[in-house]
Amino acid sequence: MNRSALTRSILSGLLLISLLAVANPAAALNVFACEAEWGALVDELAGELATVTVATTAFQDPHRLQARPSLIASARTADLLVCTGAELEVGWMPPLLLRSGNPNIQPGRPGNFLAADFVRRIEIPVRLDRAQGDVHPQGNPHIHLNPNNIARVARELAQRLQQLDPANAQQYQTRATDFLDRWDAAVERWEIRGEMLAGKRLVAHHTSFSYLADWLDLEIVATLESKPGIPPSASHLATLLEQLQPARPLAIVRTPYDNEKPSAWLSQRLAVPALLLPYTIGGNDRANNLFELFEVTLTELGALVL
Amino acid sequence: MNAFELSIVAPALLAGLLVLSTHVALGQEVLTRGIIFIDLAIAQVAGLGVIAADTMGWEPHGWRVQASAVSAALVMAVVLNWTGKRWHDVQEALIGAVFILAATAGILILAGNPHGGEHLKELLVGQILWVTYGQLFPVAVLYAGCLLAWFVFYQRIQGFGFYALFALVVTASVQLVGVYLVFASLIIPALATRHISSRNSRYLWGYLIGLAGYLSGLAASMRWDLPPGAVIAWGLAIFALAFSWLAPRRLRE
Repeated sequence: MNRSALTRSILSGLLLISLLAVANPAAALNVFACEAEWGALVDELAGELATVTVATTAFQDPHRLQARPSLIASARTADLLVCTGAELEVGWMPPLLLRSGNPNIQPGRPGNFLAADFVRRIEIPVRLDRAQGDVHPQGNPHIHLNPNNIARVARELAQRLQQLDPANAQQYQTRATDFLDRWDAAVERWEIRGEMLAGKRLVAHHTSFSYLADWLDLEIVATLESKPGIPPSASHLATLLEQLQPARPLAIVRTPYDNEKPSAWLSQRLAVPALLLPYTIGGNDRANNLFELFEVTLTELGALVL
Repeated sequence: MNAFELSIVAPALLAGLLVLSTHVALGQEVLTRGIIFIDLAIAQVAGLGVIAADTMGWEPHGWRVQASAVSAALVMAVVLNWTGKRWHDVQEALIGAVFILAATAGILILAGNPHGGEHLKELLVGQILWVTYGQLFPVAVLYAGCLLAWFVFYQRIQGFGFYALFALVVTASVQLVGVYLVFASLIIPALATRHISSRNSRYLWGYLIGLAGYLSGLAASMRWDLPPGAVIAWGLAIFALAFSWLAPRRLRE
């Protein structure tokens, strides 16, 4: 084979590869999602166009994470990182970003999408003091259990997907419109179902359900943790028992990653049910996507007042 | 393992090699002196120094945190040197008690800290995967100095000199790889090679077992996506056992 023939065959090979790449639009984007709810949202908005890696399951506390090689590997090849932000992942995101060596997903770049940036956050501390526990200066980061927040984040995320993958912009647009139509209709149904929960009182293990309570007009009267992130102590539980005895709450709710023992302790003494809510996708076997997550949560809470 | 995977574990492997460079040598001495738990105690005390500095709100990995960790470990070295002379027969028991006190003091200091549980676990298990090349350089310089001192002045290093050298080495390694791996790197290769009569081949086989343990542990961690620190400890143990069974008898003469 002479030189020009070699060049020609290399060129035609390259052309073939690029044609194949165009002909096969599947998985244009690699997405690294910190939590299962954002992984599910990317699935809704991008479908086949994205390959999603989710860093934590419903059974892992997103505040803390043990480093595994696959986390660095998927952060390294990610085009887009979708996380909660508001310091939820502050314990492990900085070293992961550093070790990923991936310029596309560094803070401030289009490939770094933090959902909490796009919603109104509650429980923003007036005074910052480490003595107050694990307070996040940017407010409570567990934003996804208000479905209106999911809609807001979905709109922003759809735009970000189009910006990062302009070739498929039309598809992202179509999928987003379709998702938001279905979502808005579902939210309307959920709000009607949720009316009977308004004004009801709950105790929560951690401040994980504040946005759900805010949406449904539930009242979280106490948390089992004396301060956010501090494991419940015997003395705090005793205080709660005394304080809640006269007016019992509807239930004591917790996420799959919270320790069940404090809930069980208080539940037994107050004769109030301890309720494990799915909290995110995969939190129980019936919550497999965002729609099911809210369906199941409302069913579980609704069963308490029927 | 391909180049991409190698780039993920390379800093962890280098951290492991650095830790082995000093710990295999010191481990032989620790085993000979019968003060096995000294590294647990000193590592825990150095960790306590880090925790205390953290509680002061000092910047992590800053010089004040290092100074706090090293001073805590050196104070412990002085105390252990003294108890070693004063109550030689119960030195190992005292070291064990110091370990428990340092560990529980950490729990007490962190009782009101929302990230307390993570800090304590990180001190034990370490986060070897988060290690960056920037962190390794100062440790490499420190270890070069320590190894030089160890091999040049070996005959004259005893008492406080040994404890102080040990404190410096362990303070650095515990922050890179955690207490579990520090203990494993120190004791397991020394245990497997204790019957070898020549000091040089004891060192050589110790380094080889350590290297095999770290390489296999990191490869297994990569293959099955497991936390590397814990797998490496098992890798070290498996190679140490294999060596004890298969080692040629003439090494023991």
